[in-house]
Amino acid sequence: MEFWDDIVNTAMIGTDKKQTTPALLPQELAEATGIIQANTALDKEEMFLQTAAVALNFRQSGFVPVHNASDIEKAPSEEKKYCSNDALQCLKNILSEESVPLLQLWLEQCESKQRVVSPVLVPALLAAAVQQKKLQLLVHACCGRRGEWLGKFNTQWNFSSGDAPEQVWQTGTMEMRKNIFGEIRKANPAQALEWLQQTWKEEDANAKTAFLELMYTGISEADLPFLESLSGEKSKKVKDEAMHLQRCVPSSPIVTRYQQALAQRVHLKKEKALLGLMNKSFLLFNASPLEDDIYKSGIEKLSNSKEFTDDEYILFQLTESVPPSFWEKQWQCKPREVIDHFQKNEVAKKLVPAIVNAAVKFNDRDFAIALMQYSEVFYIDILPLLPSQQQEHYGIKFFSGHPDSILQYALQYEKEWSLELATLIFNHASKNPYQYSKSFFNIHIHLIPASVIPELEKLSPAEDYYKTMWTNTCAYITKLVQLKHQTINAFKV
Amino acid sequence: MNLTEEQILALAPDESSKKSGKDLANASKWVTKSFNDQALWGECQGSGSKPYQTQVDLSGIAFKCSCPSRKFPCKHGIGLLLLFSRQKNIFSEAELPAWVNEWLGKRAEKQEKQVEKKDAPVDEAAQLKRQQARVKKVNDGIQELKLWLKDIIRNGILLMPEKGNAYFEGMAKRMVDAQAPGLANMVRQLGAINFYAEGWESIFLEQLSKIYTVAESFLHIDALPDVLQQDIRTGIGFTQSHEELKSQDGITDIWLVLSKQTSEEDNITTEKFWLYGTKTRQHALVLQFIVRGQGGQLSLMPGLFIEAELVFFPSVTPLRALVKKQIAITSAISFSKYNNWLQVAEAETQYSSILPLGGERAYTVQQLKPVQIAGKWWLKDAEGSIMLLQNENKVIWNLLALSGGDALDMTVIGKEKDFEAVGIWKDETYTIL
Repeated sequence: MEFWDDIVNTAMIGTDKKQTTPALLPQELAEATGIIQANTALDKEEMFLQTAAVALNFRQSGFVPVHNASDIEKAPSEEKKYCSNDALQCLKNILSEESVPLLQLWLEQCESKQRVVSPVLVPALLAAAVQQKKLQLLVHACCGRRGEWLGKFNTQWNFSSGDAPEQVWQTGTMEMRKNIFGEIRKANPAQALEWLQQTWKEEDANAKTAFLELMYTGISEADLPFLESLSGEKSKKVKDEAMHLQRCVPSSPIVTRYQQALAQRVHLKKEKALLGLMNKSFLLFNASPLEDDIYKSGIEKLSNSKEFTDDEYILFQLTESVPPSFWEKQWQCKPREVIDHFQKNEVAKKLVPAIVNAAVKFNDRDFAIALMQYSEVFYIDILPLLPSQQQEHYGIKFFSGHPDSILQYALQYEKEWSLELATLIFNHASKNPYQYSKSFFNIHIHLIPASVIPELEKLSPAEDYYKTMWTNTCAYITKLVQLKHQTINAFKV
Repeated sequence: MNLTEEQILALAPDESSKKSGKDLANASKWVTKSFNDQALWGECQGSGSKPYQTQVDLSGIAFKCSCPSRKFPCKHGIGLLLLFSRQKNIFSEAELPAWVNEWLGKRAEKQEKQVEKKDAPVDEAAQLKRQQARVKKVNDGIQELKLWLKDIIRNGILLMPEKGNAYFEGMAKRMVDAQAPGLANMVRQLGAINFYAEGWESIFLEQLSKIYTVAESFLHIDALPDVLQQDIRTGIGFTQSHEELKSQDGITDIWLVLSKQTSEEDNITTEKFWLYGTKTRQHALVLQFIVRGQGGQLSLMPGLFIEAELVFFPSVTPLRALVKKQIAITSAISFSKYNNWLQVAEAETQYSSILPLGGERAYTVQQLKPVQIAGKWWLKDAEGSIMLLQNENKVIWNLLALSGGDALDMTVIGKEKDFEAVGIWKDETYTIL
């Protein structure tokens, strides 16, 4: 279209400086342009405008599409079946609600039933996974071959490349590597350790710290040689994290040093009483000096609390740094007796919270149960260590005294809350609708049982200004719970 | 009536109505819900003491609700229709209650009246005088416009990006004063061109040529054939009486709604419905202007087949039309499509040769396949001809996902060589992109 380009060029420069080139105009326009040129009443601008109008219509009336042999490779057929229409409808609703937890639930259901999403929703899912990096592997599984195929055209969707886990670990983005490392660490801690050791030298300090943070899952004696080898790392963050991890392994040298220090400082004295008819036992403490390496490992010399002397504070720190089972072995007694010994002595009583901390740190469920049963004080921190039934039982029992803390622990449950606990939680939430808002319940929707929905209507905050907020929150929770159950039911069929 | 969820949601006036409508598509929200061949109705317990009475005319998809919402259709209408499409079995089939019967009766009566309505007797002499005065004003305005156009051409359009909006707005306002709102709009479009985009020079000159053609044609309007005169008058901004149009015989066909495009400016929402006559093979463009807070008369959803009588505005290439009478929604029927891009180009050539000012048209073309050439996406027909996909950013991923590299029957809107894909046909189902 040389003629049109010439006309545009003339227009660009202006008719004062340039005229169109008649020779470039198509032969078919000769008659029309001849009439225009012959019209002496027209000035050069109007001649140009008329020529341009004629040329434009000639151009738009004569467009011929061009041929091209290019083609694209076809998407491979799906190996898995498509999910049902009900499941698709659920997915559409979840995407429009922008509920990430429900999306995760939907994807988990879809993957576990070995189904894939119909092509119509694949782009929406892939786009959602760009934002929600932790869902990328699930989305990849659920988008099937069509998702992988689309990923070839859109670099942002490359996460659906279908690589094997080890390939992802070696070549994936940081987020993908963290995801896969976390999953492997959960399923096979030794394998994860082996992967990390293989690539350790190539990782930067931030990546090293990030992967060490994921090693708390499945931490064991087998990790010690690696963790100890990190003492020569340049980064303080990496060294601190490695040391912290070592402190979580009961057989690590540092924990053993703490145990030795405690053995020197705390003694169980047994005596006969009532003319030898009864045994009497009590704790004795001595303030033998500690070696410097213990202080260097993070034990503070001076108390930061009025309730503790410096010596007591050192004891407290040491006690919370050794597994509670240490006392069982040391004194050859059961957890209940250990707790009794501590509770009988005024100084030792102050150390019971340290035993609670130690039980939590070393995940000592036997001690947790004993503490719950025999401690004079209710220690909420041990709730998550209890068997799920006991967690519910004690959660309900102590809810009125510690509503917010128990709610926080209830959020870690793996199963839905019981109706009784859910009712208590929602009763509390209804009085604080701004603290426990829609987004809070959206995040924890997997815990909310459908049976609580009728109860929600009975709850209402006393303050009028809270009522609208709570009503909206209730409606939202109801909608999400319905979607959750529709999702589960859609994949049952 | 088999409406998809997407089609129903496409009726909602905004995102919040869609969301609220979905919430109300829940059986527990409805005290009663019934239907018959003509209508769908239900009572929804809202915040008021009495339930809201919601009704939907199924023959023409129209809504009425007793709620105080200014949105149209309201969330109750959307919710009821959605619920019906999802769970028809929970609706009881019943006789029309009085309140629904009354509304349907009034609608039928109104439709009849609209057709029969005659203008009040007019003072023809006064009308002629007014028309002559307007023509004179328009002619005067055009003389000024031509001077402006010639100034631009003399000095060159290279400087246009620096002129700013006021330069174009000033001339547009002058055209409004000259009672030529059509020309005013065309001048405004000149100023709205993206001067940062490659190729703006050609687009600018095309628009300039069109303005000149309309203006110059009006100065010589008496020398033009009658129907073409109407096109030029429309270009200038002369309006056509809708009542007068509706009094004429229209074309009854089964029309397929190909696309709905919505834009908003100055509190007025413009809805463009692109229709295709499955028997007459005629394209139609139905416009609906909705002032914020008021409801529109038409509720047409892409992919819907409606039996209706349309009256076209007079033109040498009739396109814009009014719905005179909507008879029924029918199930999908097969219809002829364009075989390839060459046929589309031939149709475009035919239209352009009759009316150089023609705008976009909608076409459904068989077996188009997306292909990527030099980083751009094109639509390739069965003969290997390609056309650049103009709305690539908006539709390409949905299009690719649905196609999987296979060719699909596709509806496109555009002109000459600029086409946007708006929907695809797969397994006899229309999916909006």
